[in-house]
Amino acid sequence: MKILIIEDEKELVKSIGQFLRQEGYVCEVAMNVEEAIQKILLYEYDCILLDISLPDGNGLYILEKLKEKNKNEGVIIITAKNSLDDRVKGLNLGADDYLAKPFYLPELSARVSAVIRRKHFDGQMKIVFNEISVDLSGKSVKVKDQAVELTRKEYELLLFLLSNKNRVTSKNAIAEHLSGDDAELLDTFDFIYAHIKNLKRKLQDAGSPDYIKTVYGLGYKLTI
Amino acid sequence: MRLLQRSLRTLLLYSLILVVISVPVSLFSISTILNGEVDESLALQADQFLLHIKSFAYLDDLETDLKVLDQLSYNIHIKPSAEQIIINKYETISLYDSVESVFRPFRQLSANVTIKGKPYLLSVQMSLVDNDKLVLVIGLVQTALIILLIAGLLLLNRSMSRKLWEPFYITLSQLKAFELDKSRSIEGAMTDIIEFDDLNKAAGNLTERSRKVYLQQKEFIENASHELQTPIAIFQAKLDTLMQHPGLSEKEATTIMELEDTAKRMARLNKNLLLLSKIDNQQFSELEEFELSFIIENLLSNLQSIAVLDGISISVTTEPINILANKTLIEILLTNLFHNAIRHTIKNGNVSVKLRDRVLSVSNSGIPLKMNADTLFERFSKESSNTNGTGLGLAIVKKICDTCSYHVSYRYENSLHIFSVVFPS
Repeated sequence: MKILIIEDEKELVKSIGQFLRQEGYVCEVAMNVEEAIQKILLYEYDCILLDISLPDGNGLYILEKLKEKNKNEGVIIITAKNSLDDRVKGLNLGADDYLAKPFYLPELSARVSAVIRRKHFDGQMKIVFNEISVDLSGKSVKVKDQAVELTRKEYELLLFLLSNKNRVTSKNAIAEHLSGDDAELLDTFDFIYAHIKNLKRKLQDAGSPDYIKTVYGLGYKLTI
Repeated sequence: MRLLQRSLRTLLLYSLILVVISVPVSLFSISTILNGEVDESLALQADQFLLHIKSFAYLDDLETDLKVLDQLSYNIHIKPSAEQIIINKYETISLYDSVESVFRPFRQLSANVTIKGKPYLLSVQMSLVDNDKLVLVIGLVQTALIILLIAGLLLLNRSMSRKLWEPFYITLSQLKAFELDKSRSIEGAMTDIIEFDDLNKAAGNLTERSRKVYLQQKEFIENASHELQTPIAIFQAKLDTLMQHPGLSEKEATTIMELEDTAKRMARLNKNLLLLSKIDNQQFSELEEFELSFIIENLLSNLQSIAVLDGISISVTTEPINILANKTLIEILLTNLFHNAIRHTIKNGNVSVKLRDRVLSVSNSGIPLKMNADTLFERFSKESSNTNGTGLGLAIVKKICDTCSYHVSYRYENSLHIFSVVFPS
């Protein structure tokens, strides 16, 4: 899977690239509009991360160009502006998602995999991790062939961890993924802990090994 | 007291004093002039009389004639006198008026004359204007004058204060209505009065300058918050990659977590500051009509699972109302109110949300505020430093209510913190 990161902040590009490569993506970088246009005309990407404010112009122009050339790369806008206008404009121009800076890299990673799934398999897809298989269209989870009943939050949590498998996902990132702005209210992570505990128990009850590891002090990691 | 009333009062007082003083002064001067004239005429009469007598000086019975004359004449008397020295003496005397049976003032000239070698005392009298009458007339005239003066001044003052001060009141009302974040700067109309033009110019400059400074500051806050987003994003991204490092010690992991919490706090603060300046910059101007109770119930159902962790129960009673507003803003408003209530509820307490008669009240059980309730809605006014809040939540609530012309208020009643928002129909 090939990803183009269009972003002019070197350090951010470095970290995003490093993080996504761990997931097995191939990442290319464009630091300005000109470079980005050249790349999208020459190559095909599975997903494009697009910063709107670039040194030589507005990133929305790249979106227009993509539309003009009938390219159907999945595009996630990442921006510091987070203005409603840009969001509406971007989504109208065919962007698939919108992520405001600052964000957690596991969140970005989850969005990237969601976009790629949607583009390539029309959302009709199963994520399989050893015994566990998640039917995304039916939002159901099976271990081997046994159905596992999960609450909405537990399902989202499992999907989030699967999108970040083999990587540490911090409790803050999980909290924000599950509760959005309401995560501000969480003084402790008892909430996350309770969900993780239930999810682990349900999966193990269905016969799956304990893949979700607690990483001391930091968060959780789904790994073999 | 109005400026014109104040000046009018001084004017009136001054004219009153003048009129009061003018009564004795005019009385004195009029009687002095009158006396002078009368004295001259008395002297003339006396002189004429003596000249006349002298032409009869050869008559033997002149003395008898003079006696008869003295008896018959009303205003000329001549009597034999022992005095030899000739002095002219003018005086004002009072004589009985037999017709009107009153005493009247008379002016009298007494002179010693010599007729046929014999000394006589000649006195000539002339009636004077009655002083009382003079006072009365002058007093009446002056009273009429003062009444006309006051009435005139009052009338003039009234029409003047309307016409003359009109530009001033226009400028004043513009200044009163001036709001830094809403209005344009004041541009007074040109008048033909220098002071008003100066005032308009000064007010215009002042408001224009304040607006410029305000806009610059607003822009600065928005730009600063924007610019901060990227470094915070880099900071967070570095932490996310650092976390992946195998073989981190517990101490290192704890430090990373502490850094992440700090980054989170910075991000929230910055997000809220940005939000405030976005509301200021009217970036939420798109309006739509929607059902408020639906949004309230939706937001609360998401919060229920978090509130339950602290044993907090949330009760909701709503009735359907439609409002015309920016939906995003309303969601932010409600979220901030609900977060605030849940955050400051004591363990196992209650949060109650009621929507009735276009009034939303959010109440939560809690101990009374230690801080001044008046500063509750100000930026960074926090009750305690150990809560997770940014100190901007209620400032955002206030800002949104101001923008949408909703009235928000706080009160503490029966151990409940109650926030009310009135949505005008």
